[in-house]
Amino acid sequence: MSLPSFLLLVAGGFIAGTFGTLLGIGGGLFLIPFLVLVVGTPMHQAVATSIVAVIATSSTGASINLQRGTVNIRFGMLLEIATVLGAIAGGLTANLLSGALLTKMFSAIMLIAALFMVQRVRVKHDDRLLATGGPFPGNYTDEATGELVRYTVTRIPGTMFVSLLAGNLSGLLGIGGGVFKVPAMHLLSGVPIKAAAATSNFMIGVTAAASAFIYFSHGHLNPAIASSATLGVLGGSIAGTQISKRIHSIALVWVFVALLFVVSIQMYLK
Amino acid sequence: MADPKQYEQLMSRILRIGVMVSSLLMASGLLVASLQTTSVTTPDRNPTLGELIRRLASGHFATAGGSLAATLMFVGLLSLMLTPFLRVLTTLAIFRAEKDWRFVGIATLVFLLLAGQVVYSLY
Repeated sequence: MSLPSFLLLVAGGFIAGTFGTLLGIGGGLFLIPFLVLVVGTPMHQAVATSIVAVIATSSTGASINLQRGTVNIRFGMLLEIATVLGAIAGGLTANLLSGALLTKMFSAIMLIAALFMVQRVRVKHDDRLLATGGPFPGNYTDEATGELVRYTVTRIPGTMFVSLLAGNLSGLLGIGGGVFKVPAMHLLSGVPIKAAAATSNFMIGVTAAASAFIYFSHGHLNPAIASSATLGVLGGSIAGTQISKRIHSIALVWVFVALLFVVSIQMYLK
Repeated sequence: MADPKQYEQLMSRILRIGVMVSSLLMASGLLVASLQTTSVTTPDRNPTLGELIRRLASGHFATAGGSLAATLMFVGLLSLMLTPFLRVLTTLAIFRAEKDWRFVGIATLVFLLLAGQVVYSLY
């Protein structure tokens, strides 16, 4: 691999990681279009690369969230049964489908993710309406207010079903699936949004690892592309975490949502 | 060790070390590749997981991935992919220490699902 190719992959990964972290959806939704549309990587290789990058960013994020005490480990472990089963099925299915079909499916998921982002901006989360009396009690100290937030989890089957679908999308298309799991945990199971995001992130690495080996076994993992992009995404996610502390502009989210729409159309036309 | 905070710190450390080790290996591979004049590998020559592990097991580290650079990157990628396995094993050990048998069962099931697909991927 030439030096310009290496720098292009690291830079693309960095931008994907930064955007993904700023939007709270991980880097995969931006990394795959970059690899397919800019670098010209075959779709299966792009998905394999994204899955590995997702493991790196999820592990880093989970490490920080565990220290903050915002992860509901038991609830996460329970949901991992569903996400891992979904991811294995997704990984096996993806290797039976053509790259062109996967690309079209990815463009559709990008559109849905953009709509979820719009919804997330429009709906104001109210953690005062937390559920009580259910299993998996959790608590954490909100760093912004210093308050101790206590909650329990309700309507678990519904969230498990969404997790199964999210895991399936992860294995099939190389995305983390947090964009679907976080709203499900919050709206269905009553988990506060910060705990939902941290628990989702905690699960994503295991979910991605479930299908990563399937892609590896089919020879879809190009070491140079995957290593360069993963290191770039990792750097971008660290930068994104720092930037997100300073930027709280809703306008920025709208710009990214518009970007997701445009790239989704380009992926469909590819 | 009975404090849940300590367990969370342990898991956090394992994840951080996993990412650091794999990143170092991948970066070393890229560095070696930049010092070599030959191409790392072409997309149609990527070894499968089974081939890579068999070559590594037979002691051909420098050429297991096609070249030393590719091998370093593959081992880095493999370490990264195995980091979540370690996290699940740690969680399993924690639940066992807490004698929470229901969650020992859940963590064991997750680990077996992960291990099962690795075995499937090898053959």
